[in-house]
Amino acid sequence: MGLDGALLEDADAPPTMRFYSWSPPALSLGYFQRFAEVPAASEAAVVVRRITGGGAIHHANELTFSIATSLGNPLFQGPVTRSYARIHELVCAALSKLGCEAALRGDGTLLSDAQATGMCFHHSTALDIAWAGRKGVGSAQRRTGGRVLHHGSIKLGSSQYDTGVAELDGIADPSELAWELTEVFREQAGIRLQPGVPTREERMLADELGERALDRDFVRRR
Amino acid sequence: MRPDDRQYLPSHEWVKLDEHTATSGITDFAVDELCSGNEGGLVYCDLPELGRVVDAGETFGEIESVKAVSDLNSPVSGEVVEVNPEIEDHLEILSDDPWDRGWLIRVKLSSDHVAKPELLDVVAYEELIAEKE
Repeated sequence: MGLDGALLEDADAPPTMRFYSWSPPALSLGYFQRFAEVPAASEAAVVVRRITGGGAIHHANELTFSIATSLGNPLFQGPVTRSYARIHELVCAALSKLGCEAALRGDGTLLSDAQATGMCFHHSTALDIAWAGRKGVGSAQRRTGGRVLHHGSIKLGSSQYDTGVAELDGIADPSELAWELTEVFREQAGIRLQPGVPTREERMLADELGERALDRDFVRRR
Repeated sequence: MRPDDRQYLPSHEWVKLDEHTATSGITDFAVDELCSGNEGGLVYCDLPELGRVVDAGETFGEIESVKAVSDLNSPVSGEVVEVNPEIEDHLEILSDDPWDRGWLIRVKLSSDHVAKPELLDVVAYEELIAEKE
């Protein structure tokens, strides 16, 4: 996750999409969340604080993806909500190719909604992606210096702290999701992803930002 | 037409200069970009401590809307001498009245303050907005 921050700060970095899973599983708090308002944060073995907004996510049984680019990128032009809508449309298309009838929640509530947990997957908005009446994708952004970092978390199913979320039947490996997302970005958005490696400077900054995300004072700053 | 008694940053902050102080906030366009007319979309605003010295173009605060955290940039250099005490608990003010009640900080201008070329008058700012819409 430190590398996501480094790619956000590096104005020279090309538009970059990353896919990863977490080992060991960790709980990430949203940038402005209060530690005390997320009960799971006091229990989880590993807790980090993201630089993106939104609620807490238990990074287990899921695929994390990130996009770092300039705000001039067509995916992110205009209001914040439009950028979520564009990306969620692509994520829904990828899930559809895997046989999952994912769609934006729209009006109403979800079976996965829950009170006072502080967890992203227990709070839903009209733009969130759900299937079978439960939230299955979490999203958040950070916008700074004319650039944007988008974080997405796609659940394969529930985990210790993300309970009652949508189940992605038949997908055992998050890399299958990553592959479909890559395909959909190429087919539907004309974005052809190419393998890349971070620069030495980005790696150094990533180490620094990764350590900060884990730092007890930063994690408990609110 | 937006107010012509102040200047604007391309990142959608405004500044109104008096002789020694500058009052800053964000524009209606910024608010709309952040929450698309849904004032409940603004969830948190972090403003600086009094006495903090900010440079023109530097981030002085952060605001979260629709799970997106965005920087607030200072149009001028100086010391923060006042912060709008209403904002943190009443973010809807930014939607209702971004130009007056929705001010965010007052800065005592540094002695070497000079107007930055990035600051736009209202005509130039309106042109910038027109290109985006």
